Amino acid sequence: MSTEAIANDERKIVTFTLGNQLFGIEMASLIEIREWEEPTPLPSVPSYVLGVANLRGSVIPIVGLSERLGWEPSVLHSRSCVLVVTIGGRNAGFLVDEVQDIVSIKGSEIQPAPDTEVNDQSAIAGLVKIERRTSDASNPEAMCLLLDLEALSLTRHIPELAA
Amino acid sequence: MSDELDEIQAIFFEECVEGLAVAEEGLSAMAAGDTSAGVIAGVFRAVHSIKGGSGAFGHTALLGFSHRFENVLDEVRAGRIAPTPEVTQCLLGAFDILSDHVSAAQTGGDAPDDGLMLEQLDAILAGGGAPAAQPEPEPVAPEPVAAAEDEFGFVPVAAPIIDLDADFDPFGFEPVAVALDDFDAPEAAEPAGWTVRFGPSRAAMANGGEPLLVIRELESMGGEVTAVDSEALPPLAELDPEDSYFVWTLTVPASVDERDIRDCFDFVAPDSLIEVVRAEDTVVGGAEPGVAAFEELPFEPVPFEPISFEAEPVLAEPVPTPAPVAVAAPVEAPRPAVAAPKAEAPKPEAKSGGVEVAQSIRVDLGKLDQLLNLVGELVIRSSILSDRLPPADQERVELPELSRLIRQIQDNVMSLRAQPIKQAFSRVPRMLRDLMAETGKRVQLETTGEMTEVDKGVIEKIGDPLTHMIRNAVDHGIEGPEEREAAGKPAEGTIHLSAEQKGGRIIVRVRDDGRGINRERVRAKAIERGIITADAQLSDEEIDGLICAPGFSTAETISNISGRGVGMDVVRSNVESLGGRLEINSVPGEGTTFSMALPLTLAILDGMIVRLGEQRFVLPLANVIETVQPEPGQVQATSPTSEVIELRGQYLPVRRVGEMFGLRSQRAPEDSLVIIVESDTAGHVGLMVDTIDNRREVVIKSLEDNLHPIRGLGGATILGDGAIALILDVDALVVPGGGFSKYVLKGLAA
Repeated sequence: MSTEAIANDERKIVTFTLGNQLFGIEMASLIEIREWEEPTPLPSVPSYVLGVANLRGSVIPIVGLSERLGWEPSVLHSRSCVLVVTIGGRNAGFLVDEVQDIVSIKGSEIQPAPDTEVNDQSAIAGLVKIERRTSDASNPEAMCLLLDLEALSLTRHIPELAA
Repeated sequence: MSDELDEIQAIFFEECVEGLAVAEEGLSAMAAGDTSAGVIAGVFRAVHSIKGGSGAFGHTALLGFSHRFENVLDEVRAGRIAPTPEVTQCLLGAFDILSDHVSAAQTGGDAPDDGLMLEQLDAILAGGGAPAAQPEPEPVAPEPVAAAEDEFGFVPVAAPIIDLDADFDPFGFEPVAVALDDFDAPEAAEPAGWTVRFGPSRAAMANGGEPLLVIRELESMGGEVTAVDSEALPPLAELDPEDSYFVWTLTVPASVDERDIRDCFDFVAPDSLIEVVRAEDTVVGGAEPGVAAFEELPFEPVPFEPISFEAEPVLAEPVPTPAPVAVAAPVEAPRPAVAAPKAEAPKPEAKSGGVEVAQSIRVDLGKLDQLLNLVGELVIRSSILSDRLPPADQERVELPELSRLIRQIQDNVMSLRAQPIKQAFSRVPRMLRDLMAETGKRVQLETTGEMTEVDKGVIEKIGDPLTHMIRNAVDHGIEGPEEREAAGKPAEGTIHLSAEQKGGRIIVRVRDDGRGINRERVRAKAIERGIITADAQLSDEEIDGLICAPGFSTAETISNISGRGVGMDVVRSNVESLGGRLEINSVPGEGTTFSMALPLTLAILDGMIVRLGEQRFVLPLANVIETVQPEPGQVQATSPTSEVIELRGQYLPVRRVGEMFGLRSQRAPEDSLVIIVESDTAGHVGLMVDTIDNRREVVIKSLEDNLHPIRGLGGATILGDGAIALILDVDALVVPGGGFSKYVLKGLAA
């Protein structure tokens, strides 16, 4: 992140969809976007951990983000892809339905997530309204759910592994 | 700047740790009765180098103590104090204080209270040494600093290169002033046997090397500085304060062993100019081109226009009676410590002077890991390449050659990480001494197999478990002297620490000859703590295993040493997280043995690739005994969920690996393969898989890097086609009672 971005209180987020919902994560945490490839399944893990995949020689877990957030598991299709992110020094891949855009938002524009949304499954850091790059001129703005990546860490319950 | 300083400090402390290990080893050998000159000299050198570095880094408390310690060692080395058991014990005690000093200096903590120990050392010095022969306390005092700098008066000139005000002071480097008188009085007319030329390289200076210490050491053998060649000294404007420009010439009596002379240069970077030559010009230990020109050294003083050098460099022939010599050490001494260890070419004459000592280089472990990872990738890529070539090309000579080379690289990289397990054992003696002092128990330590080589990562990680096991053995196992004598045992308990390689594993054992585990008490305590129910039926082994249960402790009072009920739990989880197992074997009244079975390496595994449905798994070859293609009827059910295989009249349990992993396989046993594996948890067990692909070495990729450990898996690997195969942890898979599925992964309940 450049100092300029900090000065303007601006941050870049990557937006993507899960079902009909628009989500966003901080650009700074994103390592790469990969095509979906069937991961190697693991035993004794929650069903949203779809398995592990080979990221240039390191083994990273692949998470069904939709299922992880309590929605229906994603149905795979041609635009399904995996966002590889880094959370506290550990990498993980999140299966998302479709990557949308990279947008700049201001920190002041972020609204806190309503209290009712807070439970163990929720990982929403806040809500922000963004302009949608779409041909549908009637609906240029959309609500984007900003994800709290720390809450999505697969090791957050294990103190000795927590970063 | 401060980064560089920290870096150099870090090197110093690493060297301290190594020095301490050497010293402890030597002192232990002395305590065991080996008081040969080599051993004592080794201890002396180790303490000496710690002292040298501590002075350079301004750790005055450490410097002060190590100096006094060194004085005593010097007397012992010179034979003026006999290394009696009492003296050795005191030296061991002093060593412990020295270790504390080092850690205090490293962590910036309070220096330990060394008053008592210093008194003891002084008492030894007073009692055993001949005061007349006592060496002058080395003038490593702060006072001469100013004098030395003033005298030469050119320190400020270096300011453009180093900001002395800002960086030099906090560094606390204290140049050592050498009394010129020291060189004035040759003590004997002994014919010069050796001519030693010594020119520290830039690298030596960058490492914080102190030429004066080397010269001192040579002097302590009777050597004398006869000349200083300052020809290389450039005009002041061009002077690089981080470099060294002087070459000292010393004569050393013929009676001194060449090896001892060479030993003096142990701590000097190998690219320094070091020549050891017989007076009759015989080059010993490696030809040095400089030797031929030695006699024609230019002896005129070099013009130093800008500098007013009071002590004029007078050079003399390398003859028995040396002329007074200008010792310019202080001039450059301050520089090396602030010098960045840049990889610049040393000055021309600083060739590796044919020194035949084993050279070593310090490498960051992370870099080795990276290298190992890359080599692993290389292996994978090369097998992908080979798979993609048409068969005719695969047979060509280049490909097998390439594979062989890669294999060799891999083996080499692996061996770089292998270290004797001694490193992990070395902290035990100290710990035992502390424990004895705390508990009043008497314990002697025996070790075997400490040269067993293990991956560095394993060594680092067994430290804590080992500490806990030793503490446990002393606190709970070994009885007090009276109790032992009453039981007909020697008053002094014994702890036996051993390491051996067995297959692909290393077995580390801690065996005590104490009272053994009191099973009744353990059971009662476990019930009291709610770990087991009052009516639980437990075997002896299961009761022993309870001491590793979280929160278990039988100690009546919580002592400093153990009894908080965290120790053995930590041991077990540490060992298991390494892919190892902990076993407890106890005989009441005779003692307890803790065995840790650990993988030899954390990086590469010899494995069998097996297939279950579409998924491939790696079975560690170390566990595999044989493979059976079952005949119809050879595998029979003993319950709806368990099966056995009949093998040469024996019935062995069979597990369907696929089912354990939730992979349904419709294969009949006859179409499958049963791999008989040996496990420590359940003896011989058959694992049923669909097929076996092949056997190969795989690079272990830890799941913890990005996820967390998963019971039943020893990690993952990347196969030739880039796909991931999970590595099976046989011991966890075959736990009796089919316990695999019942392990719920901690922390993933969400």
